[in-house]
Amino acid sequence: MSKLTMLSRRNFIRVSVMAGGGLLVACGGGSSSSNNNTGTPPNNGGEPTSPAEAFQVGEFMRISTDNKITILVGAAEIGQGALTAIPMIVAEELDADWSQVSGELSPVAANFNNPYFQNLLQFTVASSAIRGYFEGQRSVGAAVRQMLVSAAAKRWGVDPSSLRTESSYVIDDIGGRRASYGELSSEAAQERVPSNPSLKNPADYRIIGSSPQRLDAAAKTDGSFQYGIDVDIPGMLTAVIARPPRFNGQALNVDDNAALAVPGVRGVYTILGGVAVVADDFWAADKGRKALQIQWNELLAGRTDSDTQRDAYNFRLNLPGVPIRSDGLVLLAQTLASETVSADYYFPFMAHAAMEPLNVVVDYDGSSAEIWTGTQSATLDKIFAGLILGLLPNQITFHAMPAGGGFGRRGNPLADYVRDACGVAKQLRQPVKVVWTREDDMKGGYYRPAAAVRVSASIDSANNISAWTHRSVTQDVTALLYAENLLDSLADFTLPPLKELTDFETGMPYKIDNVLMDAHLTVNLNMPALWMRSVNKFSDVFAQETFIDELALKVNKNPYSFRRDLLSEKPRHRAVLDAVADAANWGFPVSGRSQGIAVMGHWNSFVAQVVEVSVSANRELTVHRVVSAVDCGTAVNPDLVIAQVESAVVFALSSILFGEILLEDGVVQQSNFDDYPVLRMHQTPTIETVIVNSGEPVGGVGELGVPCVGPALANAIFGAIGERIRELPLTRSNFKIA
Amino acid sequence: MFTIRVNGIAHTVDVSEDKPLLWVLRENLKLTGSKYGCGQALCGACTVHIDGQPTRSCVMPISAVGDKQVRTIEDIGNEHIGGLVQATWQELNVPQCGYCQSGQIMAATALLKDNSSPSDQDIDKALSGNICRCGTYPRIRKAIHKIATEQL
Repeated sequence: MSKLTMLSRRNFIRVSVMAGGGLLVACGGGSSSSNNNTGTPPNNGGEPTSPAEAFQVGEFMRISTDNKITILVGAAEIGQGALTAIPMIVAEELDADWSQVSGELSPVAANFNNPYFQNLLQFTVASSAIRGYFEGQRSVGAAVRQMLVSAAAKRWGVDPSSLRTESSYVIDDIGGRRASYGELSSEAAQERVPSNPSLKNPADYRIIGSSPQRLDAAAKTDGSFQYGIDVDIPGMLTAVIARPPRFNGQALNVDDNAALAVPGVRGVYTILGGVAVVADDFWAADKGRKALQIQWNELLAGRTDSDTQRDAYNFRLNLPGVPIRSDGLVLLAQTLASETVSADYYFPFMAHAAMEPLNVVVDYDGSSAEIWTGTQSATLDKIFAGLILGLLPNQITFHAMPAGGGFGRRGNPLADYVRDACGVAKQLRQPVKVVWTREDDMKGGYYRPAAAVRVSASIDSANNISAWTHRSVTQDVTALLYAENLLDSLADFTLPPLKELTDFETGMPYKIDNVLMDAHLTVNLNMPALWMRSVNKFSDVFAQETFIDELALKVNKNPYSFRRDLLSEKPRHRAVLDAVADAANWGFPVSGRSQGIAVMGHWNSFVAQVVEVSVSANRELTVHRVVSAVDCGTAVNPDLVIAQVESAVVFALSSILFGEILLEDGVVQQSNFDDYPVLRMHQTPTIETVIVNSGEPVGGVGELGVPCVGPALANAIFGAIGERIRELPLTRSNFKIA
Repeated sequence: MFTIRVNGIAHTVDVSEDKPLLWVLRENLKLTGSKYGCGQALCGACTVHIDGQPTRSCVMPISAVGDKQVRTIEDIGNEHIGGLVQATWQELNVPQCGYCQSGQIMAATALLKDNSSPSDQDIDKALSGNICRCGTYPRIRKAIHKIATEQL
């Protein structure tokens, strides 16, 4: 259909190689290519598609006769490095020559579904790229290696066990000969797929655990890397959508005369989500939109108001919620305690504000469609596109593009931006790129939901913490799933436990005998909310880790050693806590500065962070240094892990210092980076990260570095000026950010 | 009709006079390396060089370009310092999502052309107009210092 697709089709000879069977089972994948797409996205970051013959091996990689290997990646590339780290995993077990390996985002197909989500869909949220795909991708690499060895053994008439592999060659030491994977690829493709290939001992890893350069680094420095917003196909128009000022408002009367008079404007179309102006280029579309006169029907529109909601949430803190963790007998412990103390916290709505505003290209001709968009949720996007366009999966070619940031916003199970774009394309029947401006992106909803948290602790006569309670009130970001009967659309689809989707903190790690954690999930279908990097850990861990600091000081203990004592049964928490105390020189801040510390576990990984600040007499806050110690089990690419932690620290600081979306009578008050500031270069502290190698199974990394920054920072502020932080962002407490 | 000089080549485009240079580059000239991020000169993703000066192309109407020389990320590698910046960016794994990096590289190149040993304060001043949501600031700072120390 498009130039891009035709190019890749021409250079890519498909050889039907192996039935999905064994290999796919090993990868945890579903059936073979029942709803496979034939197109591939533009080749980003890797070598140009090789003119040599390429053999597609089991749909997970292409080995070309010139020994280049292209590994298809089912996870989204949103900056975290999936296009590098996942190929590293495959290349390790394959014994590939890393310098000849490139990565490419896969088609949307069951084979590439994320094992973490029961192999049901391609979905890159919950820090699940590596921890989801790790084991399956190892098996893919190992299976193909074994097939190459078998092919060489047949060619040479020797026993496979006499052969070894190294750097994309099968080597016969006895016979003194070798053959490249490229030479063997067509023969290997005829081999049976081993169902249970043997995997390397981690001690023999050569690629996993090393830090090669990102495969997309070059293309991301010369302007050639293609994001969704860069897709350009012949005859393509550009659209922007005027959305209602209040969520779920509907266009009632549209006067488009002035809009249609703007040169370059081709048409105005009312869709479910608003009114689309379609034009020859972005500028004309945007001018046309400004010229629209729309009366909105707001009878059923959202009227969420930040202040009113805060009052309601605070009220709910007094009511018991749904228990999500219950240890021992909290009420009894509270009754027997010498003192019970508590604190309430509040966190506002926040916008993800990824650098690449949302955008989708749809080429729909009435009987088939081709779609390009940066997404974390390709499978559901494709399903919704099919529902709206009335097409079967095999009539839609969906190109999941690398995205200019995601942070959860591009992992919307409701596929809001794909639906809008399909709504426009369905009427237009001509290729169209729907572009969100920054203002659209900022005002368009799906925010981190506001949250209130109450924490209490009881102290017994021996100065031990005898009870702990933690109550969260926040909006259920999954409620819309149920409201829209999505479940009916997906046969056999079962949602992961609610606790995991909302990511409430239940892992409070301290040795306290009596614990009650409960939660209120409010439903507000007129207020689109969505997970944002670290989800409810952001608010829950803030409350937990600032309050534990208060308790430490209350019983006259050092916040570090107090935590350490309470983590006697949590060796991995303790190891990162010790490591960060060491790396940050805990207890000895630079003169004039104050330190704060926090620790947690998340997605089978562990982190402790120390933040060093100073606060001037006029409340000018300077964050000087953030030191992190992380244990993510096995770091596939340690430098990418460190980069993710650096990224998380900056992301967290933006939220902690400035992040606030305010609603007044349903209307979002922020619009761009002037009234929704994010951290800039001059505000960025020195960031140091150490990796604690536990050798345990891979854990999540993408969100790991976010939640502890806030409490460590708040604890440091207390050390500096003796003031407790109970709400975010800090600009609310009249801090000036240096 | 406007004729503008981009990366050493004259291009004539038939667009409205208020169309920003960014969209002319992206849509008319198919130079998509310069990115749209905010449309209001707040984020720096659209930074190009105009007669060597880092400029926010998203708020510069095509009619204001005149005969000035426009240079974009696609061509900056042909300048000595631009090439050094790109190579060092790769070496230190600076980009994450990469979306802001065209603008960061254009800003950093302009800084280093002007100042071969920038201080941290100089870097703050030159780069604080460029937002990165992935938080690559520490590596950008490190890369600039590395180039200044080792190669200029």
